Amino acid sequence: MEQTYQYAWIIPFVPLPVPMLIGVGLLLFPTATKTLRRMWAFPSILLLSIVMIFSTNLSIHQINSSSIYQYVWSWTLDNDFSLEFGYLIDPLTSIMLMLITTVGIMVLIYSDNYMAHDQGYLRFLAYMSFFSTSMLGLVTSSNLIQIYIFWELVGVCSYLLIGFWFTRPPAANACQKAFVTNRVGDFGLLLGILGFYWITGSFEFRDLFEIFNNLIYNGEVNSPFVILCAALLFAGAVAKSAQFPLHVWLPDAMEGPTPISALIHAATMVAAGIFLVARLLPLFIVIPYIMNFISLIGIITILLGATLALAQKDIKRGLAYSTMSQLGYMMLALGMGSYRSALFHLITHAYSKALLFLGSGSVIHSMETLVGYSPDKSQNMVLMGGLTKHVPITKTCFLLGTLSLCGIPPLACFWSKDEILNDSWLYSPIFAIIAWATAGLTAFYMFRIYLLTFEGHLNVHFQNYTGIKNTSLYSISLWGKGCSKRINKNFRLLRMNNNESFSFFSKKTYRSDENVRKINRGQPFVNIVHFDNKKPFSYPYESDNTMLFPLLVLVLFTLFVGSLGISFNQEGTDLDILSKWLAPSINLLHQKSKDSADWYEFLKDAILSVSIAYFGIFLASFLYKPIYSSFKNFYLINSLFKISPKRSRWDKILNALYDWSYNRAYIDAFYTTSFTGAIRGLAQLTHFFDRRIIDGIANGVGLMSFFVGEGIKYVGGGRISSYLFVYFSCLSIFLLLYTF
Amino acid sequence: MAKVYLVFTTNHFPCLTLIVVLPIFAGSLIFFLPHRGNRVIRWYTICICLLELLLTTYAFCYHFQSDDPLIQLVEDYKWIHFFDFHWRLGIDGLSIGPILLTGFITTLATLAAWPVTRDSRLFHFLMLAMYSGQIGLFSSRDLLLFFLMWELELIPVYLLVSMWGGKKRLYSATKFILYTAGGSVFLLMGVLAIGLYGSTESTLNFEILANQSYPMALEIIFYIGFFIAFAVKLPIIPLHTWLPDTHGEAHYSTCMLLAGILLKMGAYGLVRINMELFPHAHSLFSPWLMIVGAIQIIYAASTSLGQRNLKKRIAYSSVSHMGFIIIGIGSITDMGLNGAFLQIISHGFIGAALFFLAGTTYDRIRLVYLDEMGGIAIPMPKIFTMFSSFSMASLALPGMSGFVAELIVFFGLITSQKYLLMTKLLITFVMAIGMILTPIYLLSMLRQMFYGYKIFNVPNSYFFDSGPRELFLSISIFLPVLGIGMYPDFVLSLSVERVEVILSNFFYR
Repeated sequence: MEQTYQYAWIIPFVPLPVPMLIGVGLLLFPTATKTLRRMWAFPSILLLSIVMIFSTNLSIHQINSSSIYQYVWSWTLDNDFSLEFGYLIDPLTSIMLMLITTVGIMVLIYSDNYMAHDQGYLRFLAYMSFFSTSMLGLVTSSNLIQIYIFWELVGVCSYLLIGFWFTRPPAANACQKAFVTNRVGDFGLLLGILGFYWITGSFEFRDLFEIFNNLIYNGEVNSPFVILCAALLFAGAVAKSAQFPLHVWLPDAMEGPTPISALIHAATMVAAGIFLVARLLPLFIVIPYIMNFISLIGIITILLGATLALAQKDIKRGLAYSTMSQLGYMMLALGMGSYRSALFHLITHAYSKALLFLGSGSVIHSMETLVGYSPDKSQNMVLMGGLTKHVPITKTCFLLGTLSLCGIPPLACFWSKDEILNDSWLYSPIFAIIAWATAGLTAFYMFRIYLLTFEGHLNVHFQNYTGIKNTSLYSISLWGKGCSKRINKNFRLLRMNNNESFSFFSKKTYRSDENVRKINRGQPFVNIVHFDNKKPFSYPYESDNTMLFPLLVLVLFTLFVGSLGISFNQEGTDLDILSKWLAPSINLLHQKSKDSADWYEFLKDAILSVSIAYFGIFLASFLYKPIYSSFKNFYLINSLFKISPKRSRWDKILNALYDWSYNRAYIDAFYTTSFTGAIRGLAQLTHFFDRRIIDGIANGVGLMSFFVGEGIKYVGGGRISSYLFVYFSCLSIFLLLYTF
Repeated sequence: MAKVYLVFTTNHFPCLTLIVVLPIFAGSLIFFLPHRGNRVIRWYTICICLLELLLTTYAFCYHFQSDDPLIQLVEDYKWIHFFDFHWRLGIDGLSIGPILLTGFITTLATLAAWPVTRDSRLFHFLMLAMYSGQIGLFSSRDLLLFFLMWELELIPVYLLVSMWGGKKRLYSATKFILYTAGGSVFLLMGVLAIGLYGSTESTLNFEILANQSYPMALEIIFYIGFFIAFAVKLPIIPLHTWLPDTHGEAHYSTCMLLAGILLKMGAYGLVRINMELFPHAHSLFSPWLMIVGAIQIIYAASTSLGQRNLKKRIAYSSVSHMGFIIIGIGSITDMGLNGAFLQIISHGFIGAALFFLAGTTYDRIRLVYLDEMGGIAIPMPKIFTMFSSFSMASLALPGMSGFVAELIVFFGLITSQKYLLMTKLLITFVMAIGMILTPIYLLSMLRQMFYGYKIFNVPNSYFFDSGPRELFLSISIFLPVLGIGMYPDFVLSLSVERVEVILSNFFYR
């Protein structure tokens, strides 16, 4: 077993050959590399599988004996400064390793089919493998500098993958936004690292914790400074995990290909922030302010994400906001100090959300043949609906994922979310109520997405879809299709604008494609565009087996991964696998040992949370159940609204909520006007200053010397009369002075 | 033959003199080459550059001990008896890095200058003359020789900019020469003043000068004089405006030399003269240096964001990166100075590569302003890849050299004993804000150039992707960037010993 640990350093480097080879190949031998094409998928999947087997081995060992293994190479730069690089295998690492490799393999298999027709297939594969490398490096790293290095690398992978389809202007903007937002977090992370280095003189996690605890114990530290440093460190996690003030990049990141959204922006990279906080929890836990701050940020994110997810038209954006909200749950759990439940939710959520994203990718894939390759159309839930008939397997998978995320008992997320809710009741009732209510909202928006996508009739045909023009005459209101007409009036302006931008965009896309075709034949990096939508009544079809296989595997995970954390009350030991797995870390945190599972308590809380989830589902199905299939509901709504006397006020509230959600809580707009505007203003100002003042002085000096020279030249021009004039005038002045 | 070899390998062989003199001497032979077109001249120049690079590497491999902090390969010939002027050369850990960098970048710049056809004899001669001047500067151990080399290298740059530049080339070249000659005046005054100070026997030898002490006021005056000269070259902020203009107009091979090596001469001089000869004044001025450096990072980064011209944007980005060097020099610590040294090398590679790529892109699309560009990633994927990679390197992506340099400068600042906590905090904070601004301007540059799509009015024939020559060039710059990023000891091992010696002056005197 020792050997397994000894060779664990190889983990991050195993998937590395693929991106290197592809990169070199694409630069030097493009044609030869491209002919191999799909062949490249095999080594990358194979290498990742090797890592998976390896990490499974490690995890099993961790569960059985739970030892922490650390190995460090010192790397001396200087006499008084040495950086150490190494790896740290502990329960947290092994959990993350399992997560990354399993989801990674599934996504790789999936994307083999999903991206098969894309010209950038190889580039995609290279980026993916590079991402795996850096993510594996991130979770195995043993000190803060190493974390920072891989943190940045993951960010770059995310940047490259969001901007994968770089001919789309929104993708170009989104990737820059993601990188810069993450850089703001990295700014905090770096300053935090430096601050803690200054305080403790170490980057190594365990030394850091030890020294820091001693310092705190002896009261030798300047507490505002420590709090500042800890908050800065936390800022890194905030940006990466899309927590409240820096969440703006995540929904935009959905411009990337869907497998990326599943792997990076749902399961692994956004969990890196959670990972970091979990890793540094021994540090944070001695500073109560920071713990409260973390939970506060968590709860704000939960609520914000859920409310923003309510009215998204784009299926992936809806899921992205849901991811944000769920990450908020994890952050809340960490802020409450319940390490175990945060990690549990991290695992279950990763599988469920990966399943959901891959499912949505499958839906998008089948919609693309109908409506074209513009993400505004193929991801638009307005145009979907009634896909149950056409894509039954995807539908089943998606439904299971949705149910899991809503927290319906036998599925994975129920167990973890329930645990977090339980803990939050102990922590603070207000937070608990918010978290609990948001569970209902989660169920509502998830089912809204599900119902709009899979129930009813295919809206593309319903709307008599002919091409570009009529696509967005219809928009979903927040509260269902039943009352869409009413809201139509209120949102005419908004929608008209949308419509314009919509057609404008699609026109541009077409032009670009033509342009692309004209200019280069068979160059890489161009999406192939089929204009299949000539046939007005084609139907979406189920995706290939290659895409369905990962979905089904992830369904299995979603079904059974919850059992990791269920306590089996047998043979006297009521320790579940997860607790056993995490035992050393939990002990490290000096947590109060959990009282043996009180079934009554558990049942009470479970019923509470399940009931709110059911309530949300019921509400969603009540509102979004297609009109024709349930006339009763429709009448009911109508009668309800007719009966209610305060309908106009109700409308106003709804509209406000809709506006709030549709405009992303105005945060993006605020950032655009304030920060971007400020930076632009600063740039203009300094540019002006540079041009006019600094350069102006230099040029002014030059100009002045020119004039002086000209003047002297003029004076010394050789005209005797002027000489005489000057001579006599000087003489007269002197005479005058002399006489007086 | 064996005898020749023996002569070559012994220590008495004047390696350095050969290295310094060879390029300009061989360059002047260009004018005697037969008229057979540009091809011959190009190949000749490249061969000379390669030979020179090989010779340098050979000499350094066999005659240079990196663990010895003393001056090595010393050569001392009396040149002018009248005022004791010596041809005194020698290298130590601090100068070996820039010399190798010079060799590398100049060789690649001559390769990059392949498309230059107008008056190519003169062009290549000037490149080689510059080569000599730069190596001479980095290896001179005599103050007056230093000044001579400093001036020798100005003239080729002036001619290169004024003859092969863009539309406003005369304006830029004049601006360049005025600024730098203005700086040189201060340098000359400083050199003469130092020379005349020791009334009994005037000396300009670095070794002797390093141990000499001056009255405080005089030392400060000397310091300021030299500082102005180097501040123009580095550049430090109010004196930087020649740089964007010159870089914006010069041909890209000249830009490579300017950004890659010329700017580093200022930093080198700052360490070599200001730090070594005037330690007291330096420790007095270093807080101001740090403040100026921090302001420069922010100021240049935000100015860069306001630039529409592609080359000027990159030029301002290099001004911003010079801020790290200033801070590293100002934070009188081992790590800070090592970081500054690493940043010198690292920016030499990255800046040169970025200017090269910008130039090749300009050659193809013939657009200067960023907001007119767009969507050129589709026709030119290789340039896109290389440009992205170097932008990432420039914004200090871990794994590339820029990151290590900046990180070490940060550590140098943090561990510095000299400053108060608040000062350090503030400066670190400001530097870190620069870390946010850098990706903004670099990535928006990438976005404006490559992302999106556009229909070009230019005929299609311009749109070929980078050929093997350009690819070779960018890859051969990229490899060292990666190498230093992965294992910075490659470079740091050269300088560590010497840096300790320099810093020991600050603690024992």
